[in-house]
Amino acid sequence: MDVELQINNSSSPDARFVTWTPSPCRIRVTNPSGATSPTVSVKIAGVSAAGGGAVVFRSGTAGAFSSSVPLTVPVNGTSVPFFVAGKFGQPSVNDGDIKIEARVGATSVGSVQVMVRIRKNANTLATGERNRFVSAFAQLNNQGLGRFADFRDMHTNVSSPQAHGAPGFLPWHRAYLLDLERELQAIDPSVALPYWRFDQPAPNLFKPDFLGVSDALGTVQFGATNPLQFWKTDGVQGINRRPFFNTAAAPGGLRNETQTLALGTQYAAFRTLEGNPHGSAHTSFGGSISSIPTAAKDPLFFLLHCNVDRLWAKWQRKNGRFNPAQAASYDNSGGNPIGHNLPDTMWPWNGVTGAPRPPTAPGGAMAASPCVSAPGPQPRVQNTLDYQGGVSAISRLGFDYDDVQF
Amino acid sequence: MATKRKVAKRSKSTKKPNASPKASARRAVSIATSSQRTVKERVAAAAEAPLAVCENEKDLQAMLNVLRNKDEPAKVRLAALQSLQAASFSVLAFEPCRGEYIATLRKVAEDPDPELRQRVLGLLAREKDGFAQKKLLEGLRNPGKALLPPEKALQLLSYDVHAEAYSAARDIVKKPPSEIARREALRLLAADASAAPLFEKLLRDKNELREIRQISASALHALKPEKLQETARKILLDKSDYDDIKATSLTALTQFGDDEALGKDKALLKSVDRLSAGEAPAKYKQSARRFLSKYGR
Repeated sequence: MDVELQINNSSSPDARFVTWTPSPCRIRVTNPSGATSPTVSVKIAGVSAAGGGAVVFRSGTAGAFSSSVPLTVPVNGTSVPFFVAGKFGQPSVNDGDIKIEARVGATSVGSVQVMVRIRKNANTLATGERNRFVSAFAQLNNQGLGRFADFRDMHTNVSSPQAHGAPGFLPWHRAYLLDLERELQAIDPSVALPYWRFDQPAPNLFKPDFLGVSDALGTVQFGATNPLQFWKTDGVQGINRRPFFNTAAAPGGLRNETQTLALGTQYAAFRTLEGNPHGSAHTSFGGSISSIPTAAKDPLFFLLHCNVDRLWAKWQRKNGRFNPAQAASYDNSGGNPIGHNLPDTMWPWNGVTGAPRPPTAPGGAMAASPCVSAPGPQPRVQNTLDYQGGVSAISRLGFDYDDVQF
Repeated sequence: MATKRKVAKRSKSTKKPNASPKASARRAVSIATSSQRTVKERVAAAAEAPLAVCENEKDLQAMLNVLRNKDEPAKVRLAALQSLQAASFSVLAFEPCRGEYIATLRKVAEDPDPELRQRVLGLLAREKDGFAQKKLLEGLRNPGKALLPPEKALQLLSYDVHAEAYSAARDIVKKPPSEIARREALRLLAADASAAPLFEKLLRDKNELREIRQISASALHALKPEKLQETARKILLDKSDYDDIKATSLTALTQFGDDEALGKDKALLKSVDRLSAGEAPAKYKQSARRFLSKYGR
């Protein structure tokens, strides 16, 4: 007997990535030979590689998760649904380091390799994770010739009002990071965007094999095997970044995580993190990352914003702020500029140009994902809040943070 | 008595219990701009001030005054600058004051304090400010008028490269005042299509510094990708060339090379095999082994 396991309700290997958020799955019998009744009892469990991730299961949309799930599956090929999620605290390190296996009795009847793909603290990435991320990023840049140019062009002075200084600051950047991450995953599906936890020392980040070491001039130096040595933006090679702090320690003057999460239980108060720690993290350096029109030239920008987004995710989890219909989840009180109201589509993904939007819209629609359908090609502000699909399962965006559980 | 006074002073912190973020920020501005406070207190307070700077005209003016005032301690002026810069990230709120902010930066661009000059010119250069670009180019042509060292001026000019900057960069490559200035000039020229032959020559020159050869490899990849592949290959085949530039060349081929062509190149694979087994640093050998495993060896 053989069965087919579909992760994220897809038979594509590209969809075999899960997070802490439950992923819908299906099992069906594809070869019923040996079956002696109309249904068969199947047990689905995860087998982790040494040091790899782990998964948990449940049969329905509610209830506790467990390390395995028993299902009764018709032998006529009808699918039976179940759900799988990463076991919180045990993300994967490598692609396919977990086998999801279906057994009938002691006999394995089908399996797939999956990855619990999670956004992690950049300072503690394994060497392989770091190298894959750096390689994918360098390929996306492709020496200034690649798709990264669009991401650079999305974050300039002209486009800045779409993304800053108003409530849509967090949603816009969440969408921006998601779009970039999906492009990285199109190059290497095992990659998730890591975050720079700027309120803690991150010495491993500022090394020749990762985001480089700044010399006295602020020119970033990379090791000979680091593909970021070929980084180019606006036709100019290299990265300008001059830390105003000792990179073996954390920058001074930034609100720490506890202080940031305590800004307030209403979104209007919380979003003041835009100044500190967000703005303060940017201005802990001289060089590209310290000014809005040039910040996205530096790959560190995306790790900085990943941490800002993680702080928002953590605040959402702490205060239960995922539902756009709940007033405290967002600041939609009126008078917001375009692109900052819950029902507004966001530039550039909406393709709208001309005042009050910028004159061009680089990059096109939001990248699709083989794992989830949200937020769609032209995301609205409201599509970014329920990123785990806790309010509506179909809203999940396909990412999670290592320290923010479902 | 001294102990009691210390405790009393420490309790005058920026934040009052349960103060709103806006109230805390306003109080922070008041401390940051007060000459009665210590430098340390004022610098710490400036970090909390961005929210107030965005939303209150009086607070913005107070911080701009600190930045402009040459009699203020340099550390406090730098902290004020950083606070204003952080506030500028809240674009919509900051927009009404942007004009005055830029005007203040231009005034401070010629400040006697070199660190302030550098930071302010950096900010202006990233905004593609014509005033700053003019000053930087003037300094390159006439070192007596330079506000920054040539290598820094070149680095800042690279934010908005114009023909004039290319011309200044080429002059510096021909007659460099320092190695670091030459390096930055070459980095800027990486966008100049006519510089491809120069980069090809530099990449092949074993007497050049690794950093220069690395910049050249990178420049060639964008200007003439086929030349980089050809040259990277030659470097890897050359037994007498240095391991670090071989590692750079290998990285270029691994990331950006033609997979089909590389997989069939027996001479190249043999050279990489030699690198993987030789006495190069472990990291380079690992890189060589990854290359070989990618192409089935």
